[in-house]
Amino acid sequence: MEKSRAVMSGKQKAVMTVIWLLMLFLAIITVFPVIYIVLGSFKSNVELLVGGSNIFPSEWHPENYMQAWTGAKFATYTWNSVMISVCVMLISLFISTMAGYVFSRSHFPGKNLIYGVFIAFMFINVGSVSIRPLFELATALHLNESLLPIILISVGTGQATYIFLSRGFVDSVPRELDEAAKIDGCTFFQTFIRIILPVLKPVMGTIALLSFRQGWNEYIMPLVFTMSRDNLRPLTVGVNMLKATGGGAAAWNVMFAGASIAVIPMLIIYIIFNKNFMSGSTAGAVKG
Amino acid sequence: MQAKGMKKPMKKEDKRDRISAMVMLSPVVILLLVCSIYPFLWMFRYVCYDYNGFNATFTGVRNFTRMIHDTTFWMSVGHTFEYALYKLVFIIPLALVCAVLLNQKIRGTSVFRAVYFMPTVISSSISGMIFTFIFATQNGILNGILMAIGLVDAPVQWLTSTEHVMSAVTILAVWGGFGNYMLYFITGMNVISEDVYEAAKIDGANGVQTFFKITLPMLSPILKVVLMLAITGAFKDYEAIMVLTQGGPGNRSMVMFLYIYNLIFGSGLTNMTQPQIGYGALLSVVAAIIVGAVTIAYQRIARKLDDVM
Repeated sequence: MEKSRAVMSGKQKAVMTVIWLLMLFLAIITVFPVIYIVLGSFKSNVELLVGGSNIFPSEWHPENYMQAWTGAKFATYTWNSVMISVCVMLISLFISTMAGYVFSRSHFPGKNLIYGVFIAFMFINVGSVSIRPLFELATALHLNESLLPIILISVGTGQATYIFLSRGFVDSVPRELDEAAKIDGCTFFQTFIRIILPVLKPVMGTIALLSFRQGWNEYIMPLVFTMSRDNLRPLTVGVNMLKATGGGAAAWNVMFAGASIAVIPMLIIYIIFNKNFMSGSTAGAVKG
Repeated sequence: MQAKGMKKPMKKEDKRDRISAMVMLSPVVILLLVCSIYPFLWMFRYVCYDYNGFNATFTGVRNFTRMIHDTTFWMSVGHTFEYALYKLVFIIPLALVCAVLLNQKIRGTSVFRAVYFMPTVISSSISGMIFTFIFATQNGILNGILMAIGLVDAPVQWLTSTEHVMSAVTILAVWGGFGNYMLYFITGMNVISEDVYEAAKIDGANGVQTFFKITLPMLSPILKVVLMLAITGAFKDYEAIMVLTQGGPGNRSMVMFLYIYNLIFGSGLTNMTQPQIGYGALLSVVAAIIVGAVTIAYQRIARKLDDVM
């Protein structure tokens, strides 16, 4: 961004200050729910149930986290969330860059048709009904005892965007690189591994972030798949189940701690990679 | 095309390349077949059936007649439109204003941008849950603050009265999404050349004039895309609402896709009612048609507006 800071008049400065304060106010409102939940997770349950307008705990109770971690099985949920999001990320990275390369470089009959179907299904959305046959299929194949169907379905429903991003990127890589590799005796697949993949690093970073977030935030599909399997639940499902089954005067402190456990890892990743997150999200949507 | 142009000795190699291309493409194609195409076709299979997950009986047109008389469903369609309208009315102007302001040369724009975008990385199921705590009538922090600063005398029943629940749902939707649309606008604005602004400045245009005479017209292609994404997005939202209100109270915040979810999987988190999959499948088809019709209608209107402007 260019910084041609011209000399501002006093009036302009005042306007800018007002704008700045408004933006600050909006920023505070935006982070407020997260701050509230994280600070609230250190309050005692009594303090949370009384309510009031103070967001800081009067006494700090870090043992809420111990209670959530061991008592409410959040150790298991966290492990499941990590497993799901890491696997979704790795599989998405591998198969969608490969597909992007094939769509960009290979020529076979029906290629454009297949690509068109991928793009079409980015727009066709029939809602939760599509989970039902997959659930029945997984049950019939006895796969519902593991996280595998959740991982694969998450990959399957997210892959179109990543393929689209990869293809766009491979298209921009000069073909001379491939041809040089071919002359050096590389096969089609070797060219992908040795030549294309290293060049794809930026788009792989984007795909890694987006697919990790997707796996971590998945809710309705794993909810259906783990309805009767408590030990397979990821954090999103676990913490909401706790709330649904706990009733009115439930342990708010444990739920606050649970929600914090579900949110904080993603926020840390976001703080580190926020620029990549933002560029990735617009690339996926505006171009699509 | 390229393969045909190659010399003959390369042919065998090309064939091998094509096979490896097919193999490399197979994982995504298999996943597409299983996760997208198969469920899509499956949906049509039970449209005329009564199916609870175990037994399916053919019922002819009974699902259709039921749908026509199903006031809860048509109400949920109405709520979906209502929700989409509220969401758009607040989220688009807010996102646009934020984008314009962040495009100024003000200190800390990148921090503001990162903060506004932050809610979009949180799962909507978790943000829905966080907002149930915030909106809680007796001990929720929002009522606590509103009462402490004297804006209301008695606690507002955000989630338990039919009067306020849509406001609560809208607040959550705007909070969770405005950063995303803001970012689309910022990306669109980066395309507008700095020279245009310089020229406007030399001609003596002020900030407001610049916005209406330059930024908005030059942004209109992006605006059209963003509106399109926002409309279709709003029609598909139900995860956060499912967690925040479960469609209540009294179905006041029941949206189309949430109603369908309850039919297909049994309502609530704990499968309280028996699934009615055949009927749910029929409603899914209808819902997809409604979303498609809205999309087409929007594109028609957008094109008409183009001609006028």
